[in-house]
Amino acid sequence: MPIIEVKKLSKTFKVKIKEKGIKGSIKSIFKPKYKTIKAVKGISFEVEKGEMIAFIGPNGAGKSTTIKMMTGILYPDAGSIKVIDYNPVKQRKQLAYNIGTVFGQKEQLWTHLTPYDNFKFFGAIYDIPNSRVEKKIEELKELFELGEFINTPVRNLSLGQRIRCEIVASLIHEPKVLFLDEPTIGLDPVVKENIRSLIKRMNKEYKTTIFLTSHDVGDIEKLCKRVIIINNGTIVLDDTMENLKYHYLNKKIVDAKMREKVNLEDEEGITILKDKGYNLKIEVDTRKRSVADAIKLLNPDNIVDINISNIPLEDIISNIYKKEDKK
Amino acid sequence: MRKYLFIFKSEVMSNLQYITNISISFIGIFLMLYIFLNLWKFIYSDPNELINGYSYNQMIWYVIFTEVIWSVVGGRKMCAKISEDVKAGNIAYNINKPYSYIGYCLSTNLGLCAVRAMLYIVLGLLIGLLFLHSFPSISILEAIAVFISFVFAIVISILMLTSIGLLSFFIEDSGPLYWMYSKFILVLGTIFPIEFFPMWARGILKYSPLNAVNYGPATLYVNFSWNSFILVIISQIVYLFIIYMICKLIYMKGVKRLNVNGG
Repeated sequence: MPIIEVKKLSKTFKVKIKEKGIKGSIKSIFKPKYKTIKAVKGISFEVEKGEMIAFIGPNGAGKSTTIKMMTGILYPDAGSIKVIDYNPVKQRKQLAYNIGTVFGQKEQLWTHLTPYDNFKFFGAIYDIPNSRVEKKIEELKELFELGEFINTPVRNLSLGQRIRCEIVASLIHEPKVLFLDEPTIGLDPVVKENIRSLIKRMNKEYKTTIFLTSHDVGDIEKLCKRVIIINNGTIVLDDTMENLKYHYLNKKIVDAKMREKVNLEDEEGITILKDKGYNLKIEVDTRKRSVADAIKLLNPDNIVDINISNIPLEDIISNIYKKEDKK
Repeated sequence: MRKYLFIFKSEVMSNLQYITNISISFIGIFLMLYIFLNLWKFIYSDPNELINGYSYNQMIWYVIFTEVIWSVVGGRKMCAKISEDVKAGNIAYNINKPYSYIGYCLSTNLGLCAVRAMLYIVLGLLIGLLFLHSFPSISILEAIAVFISFVFAIVISILMLTSIGLLSFFIEDSGPLYWMYSKFILVLGTIFPIEFFPMWARGILKYSPLNAVNYGPATLYVNFSWNSFILVIISQIVYLFIIYMICKLIYMKGVKRLNVNGG
């Protein structure tokens, strides 16, 4: 049974528009004009218990609006949402006891207090008995390795340490679903990796369902088995990460350094991406031509060095975004 | 209730880090009071003279008391913070927590006011003692009653400011509304007691929220009687209820209009 059910969800914003210059400013006082922006256009999806799902899309695609409707912050115009049997519109408070949220761009912790005091605070607002909060803090302190700085005011922590504390604060009340909105934004690669492995461990240990939005392909690739891509308010892809790679990774990039110049031209299944005489970069569509064919065209005896790679997932996703934008 | 006490406690803990900053504002309060003390000294040519029923000493203690309330509440920042939260969409991060937003605002601001009150009450008493060399004749029990009324005044003020701040859901900026409110409160009740206004205005002002937020508790301090105490407390409870309901209504209507674009 799904833990999240979203059906035909829509949200429209009314935004004031003003003509340019002082004349426009005066005009807008007497005759204000508005335009409506359809942020989310009738999207539907389901998430199973314990799943780690990536909900991605370019800026302004409708990701955050969807999350905010799912967590009861915004009211939808149409459609229905059910998160752990609660309707966020009518049961916002009950839902709040069962979900956790981490917004990478927004601090939820009290910066002048220590992480320990913050965790106690979150325990109190979620009505958890003191003894249970202490036990939970101890447990999460070990899991997230907070021992060194649990008594240092949050304002003195590094961004990576702060994000770890943000995640722990959102787990104090043992939520069934955790919404992570760009949790690794601004972090260096080592800390990112650390946060990812902690999220993975948390999902494994507590079976927490994780709904992740991120612009970082590494987060999506390393954490999630399923991906939903949203663009212009509609879902353009809802598939497993495996299928996404299988369908879109049928193109290989062959980067070759040649002994002698080769004169190659585009032909079926082969596209020349770069030709600098001795250095060639070609794209091979493996549904039409094999990589071996491409190498034969280059003449194996003429190759000094060769590198065959997949198209980066980042490029695949941005291609999906672009394709949808063109429509 | 435990959660609101915890929010209050956390805000007190957080603000204790700023104790030096809060103490610096002593200078401003001292200067303000010094100006008023001299102004009233000039008006009262004879210290034993009664003007509109107030002796010089009563008048000075009245001004000190209302000035302490005014400074403890520190309305401008409080209102601007709520207004900014609404406009910038930061309020969204409070909405998805299992507490009432109004309860949260009240608890955090009370926490801030508690730290300021600890300092400003002492400062007010010291200034009064320095200039008048005596305290108003008031028993400990009466002082406790005045303190209760003082706390009610702070709570009602916070709810009023929260209501004004939340009006940002409907208008672009609630700043001008706060400006009008603050000038109204400052002139009617903080600087001048109601008795200084024309007879026709006194009746209206006595039944206005001024009785609850400054005039009522201040007159109790300078001229205490249990009868007045009961009347002031009744008016404070009534206004507390009315303003809380207004605040809740604004929030409930406003939150449906919340526009939070982007991440």
